[in-house]
Amino acid sequence: MPFGRLPRVPSLRLLIQSWPWWLLLVALVGLRLSKGAFLSDVYALISRPFWPGSAQCEWLQASKQLELQARQAHLEQDNRRLRALLGLKRADPGEVTAAVLSRETAGWWHQLLLGAGQIQGIRAGDPVVGPGGLVGRVASVTPTTARVSLLTDPASRVGVWVGRTQRHGLLTGVGTSRPTLVFLEKDPQVRPGDLVVTSPASTLLPPGLNVGVIQSVDEKGVPAPTAVVQLGAPVGSIDWVQVLVQAPPAP
Amino acid sequence: MGILHRLPWAVATAVAVPLLNLASPPFLKLAGVPPSWAVLWLLPWALADGPLSGALAGLGLGLLLDGLNLGGATQIPALAVLGWWWGRLARQGPPIQRSLSLGLLALLGAFLLGLSLLVQRHGFPLPGFIPQLSILHTLLAQTLLTGLLAPMICSLLLLLWRQQQR
Repeated sequence: MPFGRLPRVPSLRLLIQSWPWWLLLVALVGLRLSKGAFLSDVYALISRPFWPGSAQCEWLQASKQLELQARQAHLEQDNRRLRALLGLKRADPGEVTAAVLSRETAGWWHQLLLGAGQIQGIRAGDPVVGPGGLVGRVASVTPTTARVSLLTDPASRVGVWVGRTQRHGLLTGVGTSRPTLVFLEKDPQVRPGDLVVTSPASTLLPPGLNVGVIQSVDEKGVPAPTAVVQLGAPVGSIDWVQVLVQAPPAP
Repeated sequence: MGILHRLPWAVATAVAVPLLNLASPPFLKLAGVPPSWAVLWLLPWALADGPLSGALAGLGLGLLLDGLNLGGATQIPALAVLGWWWGRLARQGPPIQRSLSLGLLALLGAFLLGLSLLVQRHGFPLPGFIPQLSILHTLLAQTLLTGLLAPMICSLLLLLWRQQQR
């Protein structure tokens, strides 16, 4: 081709005939724009039989688990230290399983007699839980028995917490199977079905123990709104309970 | 004063009252509320042994039962007064010891005992006092059940105590 002469424009027919090359070009551009996504997927699929063994993956998972455990232990230690500074109850007490020897769930008193006492490490004030949640607190104790004041007893008062709305309240026994929750705020914003747990600010009970579920709300209660709570633990039919004894603090 | 208090085994039967309170048999409950076992034991004892023995038995029973229950409410005054009152009523002779009379006396006794506990646990029911439904339920259920069981249990116990006195 002599110098200074422009190249010939290819004919339209030639361009149409070379459509597979155009298709390839579009595909390559697409591959470029997607940062080789399709290529990577295809490569992963093809090379799957040759991937590295599971040993290294398990090492990674194990190390991650160890890291989480260490972090949990560190946080628990921090939590214990801070709760001790604030004078709050520990969140991880020891457990003593005890049989229910006698129960009065209706009448003038609402109480249980348990077949474990001071010898097993139970002290007055220890919380008692059954399947479903908190049952009450140990009111008096002998070497081999403990008497539990139930949440339903008219003399029972326990600080509780509605987690969804983050509202505090006072769970008050009224002599029926459903105690009343008296809120501290005018507008507690709770509704039936909300879960009630022990208060994180309680100095008497460990935080976060399941208590029950709000059954109905009386927003016009005076001086503050009230709610009826269906207890999680069926006290009338529980034969075994666990007493959460306050173990000596970890060093 | 009769001779029942001189029989150790007769006095020992009073232990059945706290034991029954603890065992609290479910088939002898009315809507979850047990009868007043103290009234059911004390009534025939006082009728058979006189006012002083009845009052002392009421005192002893009250001490036993107060040890079993939480809180500061006590059953001693009501039981002692009932024991003394029933002991005095016994002087009227057999008519007061018929089954129906026993039922009515136990009914009244359980009601007064319940009322004393109500006053101690929930305050004096002055005019305008609106008791919680659960308190009324407990008071009525225990009174009715005690009154219903009394003709059977008290009659048998009274028969037993009378046989010992002959």
